[in-house]
Amino acid sequence: MKVAYLLSKLIDLQLISISVIEIFSVLFLIYGLIIIAGYIFSAFFSIFEIRDYKRSNNFQDDAALLQSSNLPAISVLAPAYNEEANVVENIRSLLTLNYPSFEIVIINDGSKDNSLQKLIETFELEEQELIHYHHVQTKKIRGIYKSRIKAYKNLRVVDKENGGKADALNTGINCCIYDLICCIDVDCILERNSLLKLIRPFLNNTKRVIASGGIIRVANNCIIEDGRIIEVRLPQTFLGKAQILEYFRAFLMGRMAWSRVDGLLLISGAFGMFDKQTVIEAGGYNHNTVGEDMELLVRMRRVMREQNIPYAVGFVPDPLCWTEVPETTQVLSRQRNRWARGTVETLMLHKKMLFNPRYGVLGLLSTPYWMFFEWFAPLIEFVGILFFIILIALGKVNFQVFGIFFLVIYSFSILFSITAIFFEEYSFQQYKKPKFMFMLVLTALLEPIIYHPIVMWAAVKGNIDLIRGKKSWGEMSRAGLGNTGKT
Amino acid sequence: MMLNTLLELEDWPAVLKVNLVLSIFFLILTILFVGLVLYLRIQKNFKEAHRKKLESKFIDFTSIFLFDPSINKSSALAEFKFDNLKSSYDYKILIKQVLIFDENLKGESTALIKEIFDGMGLHRFLLKDLKRREWFNKARALFAFSKLGIAVPDHLIIPLLQSKRIELRQHAILYFLNTSKTDPLVFLDTLKGKLTLWQQVLIENSLKSFEVEIPDFSRWLNHKEDSIVVFCIKMILSFNQFQNIPFLIECLDHSSEDVRYQAIQVLQAMEVYEALQLMVAHFPEETAANKRSILYAISKIGTYKDLQTLVPHIHKEEVNLQIDFYKISGQFGEGVPVKKLLNIETISKDWEDFQEYSINSGIGA
Repeated sequence: MKVAYLLSKLIDLQLISISVIEIFSVLFLIYGLIIIAGYIFSAFFSIFEIRDYKRSNNFQDDAALLQSSNLPAISVLAPAYNEEANVVENIRSLLTLNYPSFEIVIINDGSKDNSLQKLIETFELEEQELIHYHHVQTKKIRGIYKSRIKAYKNLRVVDKENGGKADALNTGINCCIYDLICCIDVDCILERNSLLKLIRPFLNNTKRVIASGGIIRVANNCIIEDGRIIEVRLPQTFLGKAQILEYFRAFLMGRMAWSRVDGLLLISGAFGMFDKQTVIEAGGYNHNTVGEDMELLVRMRRVMREQNIPYAVGFVPDPLCWTEVPETTQVLSRQRNRWARGTVETLMLHKKMLFNPRYGVLGLLSTPYWMFFEWFAPLIEFVGILFFIILIALGKVNFQVFGIFFLVIYSFSILFSITAIFFEEYSFQQYKKPKFMFMLVLTALLEPIIYHPIVMWAAVKGNIDLIRGKKSWGEMSRAGLGNTGKT
Repeated sequence: MMLNTLLELEDWPAVLKVNLVLSIFFLILTILFVGLVLYLRIQKNFKEAHRKKLESKFIDFTSIFLFDPSINKSSALAEFKFDNLKSSYDYKILIKQVLIFDENLKGESTALIKEIFDGMGLHRFLLKDLKRREWFNKARALFAFSKLGIAVPDHLIIPLLQSKRIELRQHAILYFLNTSKTDPLVFLDTLKGKLTLWQQVLIENSLKSFEVEIPDFSRWLNHKEDSIVVFCIKMILSFNQFQNIPFLIECLDHSSEDVRYQAIQVLQAMEVYEALQLMVAHFPEETAANKRSILYAISKIGTYKDLQTLVPHIHKEEVNLQIDFYKISGQFGEGVPVKKLLNIETISKDWEDFQEYSINSGIGA
C-alpha cells in the first residue's frame, strides 16, 4: 500500500516537473519570438530611416554653412582623466574641426598624471579669474586656464577635483559660454565636418531640438594621421571584429529605428550634442549612475514631456566619431558590466515612465523594450542556460529538440548580423576592401558562440554587482589610437 | 540516414516543425543577404566606373563645345545624347556635372552650359521629376533649377512653399531666390510656418552672391511669423542697412521674446548707443535670456554707469545674472571685489549687500 502511494507521488512529481519544463520551454519560446519580432521591426524602420536620410542629404551644401555668421556657436566639452599620453594630440585634432564658431573646454578631472602640466606647457596656458556659472552642482574647480597664443583662443582648460565623468561634464556646462554643448570623449577621433553634421537637426527643425547624436565607429587598427582616419580597417582581434558587428546592429539598426519612431533613449557619451538650457533645466548629468549618458537623455525627454513642450531628438547616421573598443576579454567585460549597471540604474530611476501612456512612445515602447530586451535578456538567457544544465543533470534533455531550438536561434543571430552588414553596405560602405566584408561575414558566423557568451556573462555580473552596491566605472585601460594601424 | 530522419519528421511535434522551417527560412535569408551585400558591392563598383567614364567623356565634350567654334553644336549635342544617355542614372550624372560647370564658369560660357542642359534633354528630364509624386525627385529638380537659375512655371513651385517636407520647402525657397530677377524675397510675403535656421543660412548665403539690389529687410519686420522677423533683423546687420535702425529699435517692444533678443544683439553689434536707454528701461520686465543679453550689450557699447543702473533690478535669486554682472564689471576694470563676491554659498547675501552699497552710494539708484 505504502509502495503504491509512494509510486503515485513519484508519478505526480514527474508530471509536475514535466509540466514545469513545458511551461518554461513555452515561455522561452515566446520570449525568443518577441525578440525576433522586435529585431525584424527595427530592421524595417531603420532601412527607411537610412534611405530618407540619404535622400534628404543628396543636395545639401555644407559650404554655405561654413560661411555663415549666423550659425549657433558650440561649446565642445571633453573630460580628461589621466590622458597625459594622448591629450595634446587629441586637442590639436579637435582644434582643426570645420565649424565657424566653437570653443573647446577640456575638463581635467583631477588627473593623477601630468596631463594639466603638459597642457599648460604645450598651449602656453595662463590662469584666468575663477568666474563661472553654477547651473549644476559640481566638485570644486581649482583653476580655469586660457592660452596666451591667439591660435588657441578657443581652447579653455578647467582643472577640478576628481568627481567622475558626469561631474566633469557638469563642470564643463558651468564653465562653457555657448548655448549648444557637444559632449565628447577626449580620446575619440572626430571627422572634420562632424560638428556641421551633428548640428543639422538643431538647424532644420520646426520643433525645439534638445539633443542630437551620431553613430560611433570602431577605430582599432585604422590608419590614423594627424588625428584623422586615413584608412578604415578591421581590428586584428576577433573581439574587435565582433564589436564592429555589434556597433552596426546597435547604431545602424537599433538607434536608426528608434529615431524613426521618436523613441531614442540613448545618445552615446562619446559624441552627442545638447541644448544647454534643457540640460540645465533637467538638472545636468547625474553622478550617481554609471550610465550618465542614457540617464541624461531619458531625464531630458521626461522633463519635456511633463512640461508638454513639443521637442525633437535628432540622430545622424553619418560616420562622425571613431573610438577605440576593448580588445581583451577582461576590459570588455568591465565595460559591459558598467553598461548593464547603467541601463538598470536608469530604468529604476525612471520606472515611472514604464508602460505609462503619458510618455507616449517612450513609456509604451522604448522603456519596456529596454527593460525586457536590454536588461532582462541576458538574465533570461542565463537562467535558460542554468535550466538547460539542470535538465541535462536530470536526464530530461531531448537533444533533437535542443538541436532544433539552437539552430533557430543561431540562424537568426547570423541573419541579424548579416542584415547589419547589408545596412552598412547600403549606407556608408566604410570597409572598402572586399576581404573586410568576408571577414565580417565569417565573424558573424562565430560571434553567437564565442563573443556573445562573454557579453552576456558581463551583463549578468553587472546586475549582481549592482545588487552588491558597486558604483565604480572599473579601470578602462586602452591601447591608444596614436599609432594604430600604422605600417 | 538522412532519409530516415526526414521520414521521422512526420512524427515531430508541431512546435519543432515550425522551428525547423524557421531555421531553414533564416538560413536562406542569410544567404540571400550575403548575396545582396555582394551584389551591392559589385553594383556600386560598376556604377562608380561607369560614372567616371561618363564624366570624363562629358568633360571632354564640354571643353570642345565651349571652346571649339568650328563644331556643329546641335548635331554634337544630339550625337552625345544618343551615344551616352541611356538611363536615368546617366542623366543624373550629367546634371551634377552641369551644376559643377555652371558654378565654375562665368559669362558666355554659362549660356553655353545652359545650351548643353537643354540640348541633352536634362531640362525635360528635370521637369518630369518636378511633376512626379516623390518628394526627393521634386527636391532634385528644384535644386538643379535654382542652382542654374532656370525658371519653370510658377504653379509647379508655389505649392511646394507650403509642403510638409522641410527639404521641399527649403528648395522651393532657394528656387524663388535664385530665379528672381527683381524681388528675390517676395516669397516671404506668403510664406507660412517657421523659417528654420538652416533655411535662414541658405537664404543668406544665396543673397551674398546675388547680383541685383538687396531688398530692404524692414519690409518684413511686421511679418506674422516671428522667425521671419528674426531673420530680417539678422540680415539688416549682415547687409549693413543702417537706415533701418529706427525699426530695429521698435522691435525692442515686440511681443516675441526671440525678436526682442535678436534686436538687442543686432543693435549692440551695430553700436546703436541710443537704443541702450530703451534696453535698460525694459530690463526689469525682460526674460532671463534677454536680461543677460542686455548686460552684454552694455559691456560692448555702454559704460560702467549704465551697468550700475541695473543693480536694483537684478534680484537676489538671479544668481547667474549676478555672475554675468561681476564678469562684465571686471571688463570695465572697476573696483568690484569680484572674487570676494563669488562664493556660491554667500552669493545671494553678498548681492544684497552690494545692492545696498550701490544704492546708498547713489550709483545704482
